[in-house]
Amino acid sequence: MKIAVYSGEIPSTTFIERLIQGLERSDCHVLLFGVKASNHYPNKKNVKNFGYRNYRFFKIVYLLSYWLRLTIFRNRDKKRLHRKLKKLSRYHLNVLIKVYPVLWYKPDIFHIQWAKGIQDWMWVQDFGIKIILSLRGAHINYSPLADRNLAEVYKQNFPKLDAFHAVSNAIGKEAVIYGADKNKMLTILSGLDLKSFPFSKRRSKSPVFRILSIGRDHWKKGYHYSLDACSKLKNQGMDFHYQIVGLNPDFEVLYQLKDSNLESHVKIESHLPMDLVRFYIQEADVLLLPSIEEGIANVVLEAMALGTLVVSSDCGGMNEVIEHKVNGLLVAVRDPEAIAEALKEVSEMTDSTYETIVMNARDTIERQHDIEEMINKMTGLYSKTLFFDK
Amino acid sequence: MNKPQRIGIVLTRVPGYSETFLVNKIVGLQNQGIEVILFVDQNVGIPKDFICKIKCMPYGDPLKWKRYFKMVLSIWNILFSHPQRSYKLFRMHRKSLRSRVRSFKNVLLAQPILNESLDWLHFGFGVLAVNREFVAKVIGASMAVSFRGYDLYLSPLKQPDIYKELFATSCRYHVLSQEMRLDLTNQGVNSNHIEVIYPAIDVDFFRSEVNDIVFSYPLKFLSVTRLHWKKGLEYTLEALAHLKNEGIDFQYTIIGEGDQYERLVFAVHQLDLVKEVRFIGKQSPAQVKQAYKEADIYLQYSIQEGFCNAVLEAQAMGIPCVVSNAEGLAENILDGKTGWVIPKRAPIILANKIKEILLMDVSKLTEIRNMAKERVSDKFNMEVQQRKFVEFYKK
Repeated sequence: MKIAVYSGEIPSTTFIERLIQGLERSDCHVLLFGVKASNHYPNKKNVKNFGYRNYRFFKIVYLLSYWLRLTIFRNRDKKRLHRKLKKLSRYHLNVLIKVYPVLWYKPDIFHIQWAKGIQDWMWVQDFGIKIILSLRGAHINYSPLADRNLAEVYKQNFPKLDAFHAVSNAIGKEAVIYGADKNKMLTILSGLDLKSFPFSKRRSKSPVFRILSIGRDHWKKGYHYSLDACSKLKNQGMDFHYQIVGLNPDFEVLYQLKDSNLESHVKIESHLPMDLVRFYIQEADVLLLPSIEEGIANVVLEAMALGTLVVSSDCGGMNEVIEHKVNGLLVAVRDPEAIAEALKEVSEMTDSTYETIVMNARDTIERQHDIEEMINKMTGLYSKTLFFDK
Repeated sequence: MNKPQRIGIVLTRVPGYSETFLVNKIVGLQNQGIEVILFVDQNVGIPKDFICKIKCMPYGDPLKWKRYFKMVLSIWNILFSHPQRSYKLFRMHRKSLRSRVRSFKNVLLAQPILNESLDWLHFGFGVLAVNREFVAKVIGASMAVSFRGYDLYLSPLKQPDIYKELFATSCRYHVLSQEMRLDLTNQGVNSNHIEVIYPAIDVDFFRSEVNDIVFSYPLKFLSVTRLHWKKGLEYTLEALAHLKNEGIDFQYTIIGEGDQYERLVFAVHQLDLVKEVRFIGKQSPAQVKQAYKEADIYLQYSIQEGFCNAVLEAQAMGIPCVVSNAEGLAENILDGKTGWVIPKRAPIILANKIKEILLMDVSKLTEIRNMAKERVSDKFNMEVQQRKFVEFYKK
């Protein structure tokens, strides 16, 4: 099977890279298209990288080379593609540079990772390529709410797609609103390579309660709620230290820190290497996910695997991973009071309760978030789409 | 000091409609026979028949070639038009330990101002004075700086020393509230150099003849505000979700646009307020006035706020206002007398306050509304503002 895993950029986000690595070990041939961030993408046996560098000169040469190949060997296909794109008024150079190589290599399945770009790829079906869409995060959960045109695009195209991969049941339900066929949908939970996330017991309770959050600066991460919760903890006289990793703080966060006098309790680090992040997770007493919206947050899975207790808001598909007080704590979304209470509860928890919860969490990850399982399911979805859906 | 003859005002761009206070200020000065020149950073949307002379900064042109051309012209000016002033400015920047390149850039960027002889040079926002702290001195003018909110409370968060040089220069400050005056004094500015001039609105336009308010359901809540995080709209929506859970029937209209639309639409969706909340975007003044007329309660639950003209307008139109205690809002509204001021970031307190108002005695409510109307028309009208500005420049 030739599978194009398309996210528009090479290398892509952690979870998409994880998928590519997993597929490489199976008998799929993976094709990558899009913008190459650097020339140093590791070369692998089953993975072919056909991306382009985002410089004007490279782009011209790249476009010309594919145009020439298509004109000489597959001129009729090329013209058909042009007609298609013109119909959608998407006949631009910056679209052609994306679509020519896909037409040339003709994968069996075009697996598109982000829904927003779907319109540019509907043509592949005309050339016998099956199209699978991953339903992930914002692209499904809120972008179409604010952008009516996008919602229209989804409604027009979702019914035509060959299959869907939902990262959680919750997001699958959202996609049904836009006409996605439930029967063509498979929920495949994100998987971790368990060997690189070894479980370790909490060493000892430190005198200062250590809270950690990980995530970029975006409103959907809900940091204003976690900081509100910190403010409440501070007013209650609790001694804690809150660390946020991966955040490049904007005015909103900075202002709140100053306004609520939290500067001495909160530390923000914008970018850290993966190893260090793992170390911080292991060192923390609790990993807090205050998000407003998520598919299923990867950091939560990682913390659960590593043995750190998780307090998460009940957003998106988080309740498909966390069962309240069994393998973590779930709190209502947009509720600083509940976050503060949950953190307090964890800080006062006995060692044995803490241990039971984190052991259960590790068990959950081993059961439902193993990378092998994810890859098996994914290749299953590919072959089902390719061979049985005639 | 006597009445000045020429005043230069530095702004980011030519004031649009919503910045009536700036246009009003200019008109007020002109009526006193003072010549006003406007220096703008961005050369966009400059009307041909603006009320005063406008000069655009060399780097503010949207077209690249024009920018380069103007830069070359500026270098010509440095060399041949006012070399002495330019050199003096360069020396002053060097003395304040700025690098050669930075100092030269600062000289280049100040060219349109160096050409003029002025009595006062007034920077419309704190950040506009950064890197131009010495220009006034070089051209022999007095210097004034206005702080309007974000420039005092937000800009220094990312650059803590941004005003170090400015606060060391001799300069007069205009701020919007006593709170801001206090905050400036805390940063080492001499309080005698700070003047509070409250914002003003057109009280003749925003006038309502309706006397008694009887709340009818669905209640109509209103906010006229940019969709910006500092306006606290997410917290407002959460408060309204509480009200909905308690069975209160309402409609909430938000007038304004901004970069947080997606965030707020998602909040509306998640809090199950799709039927109750409307975002109607930017509206004309007449439409805004109509919205005030129809509203039962005005909400401004900001996280950060300089002063907020919309709250003044709502008061003038006789709508009961509930606001947060963000900076200037606590002076805009006197808690319990002309409206209600409650702690920010606490949606439940906001919800409870609204419920309290709904149960309030009509006579008490009328008293508060009348007092608010009266106070706005006495203290926040344009004549008062114009007069104060003329006085400001006389000192």
